[in-house]
Amino acid sequence: MPLCDAEKTFVLHGVDANMRIDGREREDYRPMELETDVVSHAFGSARLRLANTDVLVAVKIEVDSPFPEKPFEGKLEFFVDCSANATPDFEGRGGENLAVELSNCLASAYRSNEALDLKKLCIMKGRKCWKLYVDILLLEVGGNLFDAVSIAVKSALYNTQIPKIKSIHVDGSQIDIQVCDDIFSCTRLDISGAPLMVTVCKIGEHCIVDPNAAEEQCSVGAVVVAVSRGCLSTVLQTGTGSFHPKTLKECLKLGFSVAQNLEDSLMETLGEIKPNQDVGFLK
Amino acid sequence: MPIDHKRINPPEDAVPYKLFTKLNTKSSQEQYQQILDKNQIRKDGRHASEHRKIYMKTGVIAHAKGSAYIEQGQTKIVASVFDPREIPNRLDYCLKGEVYCDFKFAPFSCPKRRLHQQDSQEKEYSSIMKKALEAAICRHEFPNFQVDVYVLVLHNAGSALSAAITAAGAALASAGIPMFDIITSSTLAIQGKDVLLDPDFEEETLSEIAIEKEHGIIVISVLATHDQISHFHQVGNLPLNVVSDSIDILHKSCKEIVPLVQKCVIRSVLAGISET
Amino acid sequence: MAESFRVLHPIKYYRDYIASNVRPDGRGLHKFRPVLVNIGSIQTADGSALAKVGDTTVICGIKAELCTPKPECAREGFLIPNVELPPLCSPKFRPGPPSDEAQVASQLLANIVKNSKCINLQELCLFPEKLAWCLFADIICISYDGSLMDACIIALMAALKSVQLPVVDYDPAADSRLVNEEEKKSLNIKSVPICSTFSIFDEKVVLYDPTDEEESLCSSTFNIVVREDQLSSVHKPGGAPISDEKLFECIKVSKERASTICKLIETAIHENNT
Repeated sequence: MPLCDAEKTFVLHGVDANMRIDGREREDYRPMELETDVVSHAFGSARLRLANTDVLVAVKIEVDSPFPEKPFEGKLEFFVDCSANATPDFEGRGGENLAVELSNCLASAYRSNEALDLKKLCIMKGRKCWKLYVDILLLEVGGNLFDAVSIAVKSALYNTQIPKIKSIHVDGSQIDIQVCDDIFSCTRLDISGAPLMVTVCKIGEHCIVDPNAAEEQCSVGAVVVAVSRGCLSTVLQTGTGSFHPKTLKECLKLGFSVAQNLEDSLMETLGEIKPNQDVGFLK
Repeated sequence: MPIDHKRINPPEDAVPYKLFTKLNTKSSQEQYQQILDKNQIRKDGRHASEHRKIYMKTGVIAHAKGSAYIEQGQTKIVASVFDPREIPNRLDYCLKGEVYCDFKFAPFSCPKRRLHQQDSQEKEYSSIMKKALEAAICRHEFPNFQVDVYVLVLHNAGSALSAAITAAGAALASAGIPMFDIITSSTLAIQGKDVLLDPDFEEETLSEIAIEKEHGIIVISVLATHDQISHFHQVGNLPLNVVSDSIDILHKSCKEIVPLVQKCVIRSVLAGISET
Repeated sequence: MAESFRVLHPIKYYRDYIASNVRPDGRGLHKFRPVLVNIGSIQTADGSALAKVGDTTVICGIKAELCTPKPECAREGFLIPNVELPPLCSPKFRPGPPSDEAQVASQLLANIVKNSKCINLQELCLFPEKLAWCLFADIICISYDGSLMDACIIALMAALKSVQLPVVDYDPAADSRLVNEEEKKSLNIKSVPICSTFSIFDEKVVLYDPTDEEESLCSSTFNIVVREDQLSSVHKPGGAPISDEKLFECIKVSKERASTICKLIETAIHENNT
């Protein structure tokens, strides 16, 4: 729903007074709900609800051959699917651009080996590797998609179990891989470097995080800051506005500090999740 | 891969011969060590903070409204802009005009052959370019219309995206599309403590790989008169203070390109006047 | 005034010009536009050339890859020419899969290359049934202003002449290949076909080397391909008919033009090597 000018002014004044329309301060997030292991057929999955934004992420694993120029590395691919129910804008092919933007952003955030070490996904040099397909389904859009998706992806990767390899037989060009019989003996991914993205929105004179759909409409420009292990892994602008260098630096600083707090609380939450908990909306 | 019935198809198992050369054995560390010597001089004789020479020309495409050709070192790019046209398949009225960007690498432009269909990197670059140019164009001047900007990279010798944005800006200006300012763009590659302005292809590829913990590539585009950054894009793994410092370096370098684009646009205007 | 007349009544506009034996761009009816060839400007390609015919600019880059030959012709390599007409080159083209015109141009070019036997595909084979070169010749139009085939063929032939392939050591027993990049050799180009385009205006006047506007107003366009003073092919896909004597006249002119352009390519190659 497009806002009228009066409504936009109201949002703007709220941000100015550090009291946003839903009662938050400028650096506050909305409440989140996180579940992992919700899709039984996937190797790992997570569902995140951030107020009205709802994201489901599932990780699938396949055996593939590595790129000839990177024989030691596995592969990682992101695919974003926008459910037509998520927002009225997604009807027809409306969500395609957003989906491409999201998957590009994720791909560049995970491109560095510091973020996720793809070398761990190598099975046999130059011949076989694991390929992770990360499927992201947007169930409902209520603003701040980038943050929600990055948290959900990180949680899903945390939850992902990679089968152990028992033996590899090489017979000329044929490679036969035997996976361990015991379904519970799996390796987990090291996700300590998996980046979290924070969208910093500039409204009026101030920057805010976690904008809701109404605030997103009022912003002249936004920066998505992806942080991994205390470093920026990707920064990109969304929306059309331009920034003064000084403002941009402030945005980066804010996004950086918020991302680190978010990282701490997410890791704490993920640590609390016990295996075989019987919760989740699909169970 | 599905067969493309609209083109002449090659055999399916073709592989680049570079994979079988002797030189292929060098590790990326070794390759990287050769890039910069102790005095911060690069392989091509440039200082680490030196931009390559730029040659620019407008009006290279006969039937385009505006066009530009840029040569930045060995990187060669053509950009063309066509008349605004009505947005296809659009029912509601929109207050602001739209910009459509199409970024393409020619199949022979990179060391590895590119396919004819747009791949994900080209799509990503298209959307970055779109965002960078949207901030520079007075879109309220042509409501309900769309401007098409096409970019073709003939030879990618690094920093293709920023060269493309600069060229597209000049093409837009020579097409007479209303703009707030001239847009220029610059790239920075970082690996460890080395900061390389306007990297070539090898430097760019090596900076994407984590040889040291801190590495990455930053591309920004600037509207110089108003000191505005119209687009900022970073990948890799960089601490906050390095990124902040890089913004200043890039901002300065973008400003240095402006007079060149100005000269080029003035030349095309003068040529237009003398014709009529 | 003249500009709006040109837009509103293009045919009448042209008729007036042609009645006084001159074309709107100042050329006589039987004049070709200047041709420019530049070789080897793209280092990422194994061979490259840029050809300009008037305002039509075409660039051809050749990339070589290794592949296995087809079982039915086990001793032959491949040359895959594809003409690309990107939306960049003219407002006529839209983004998406190749337009009809691009498909026709690719096929026509492939036929000309095949029929003129300018390159012996057997020389591209490194070991029968096992290993062969596949030359990807991508011909991209940068600026489109008529007589596309002329420019495409010049660019392709000049690029083929500039190709430098590395020497490959192949051991069939172990299926191992070793490419020696320090030692390179060029291709053996047997002959150089040259294409000339003509248009028929108002069913009787023949225009040489038409521009895009002329091509669209003319009732028929045809190509004549000449190879070493011999007629190689005439491609006239329907349209207005042409009398024998006029066609012979065109063939004669094409032969003269072909020898000039061949010399031009030779000079360009020579300058590139020195």
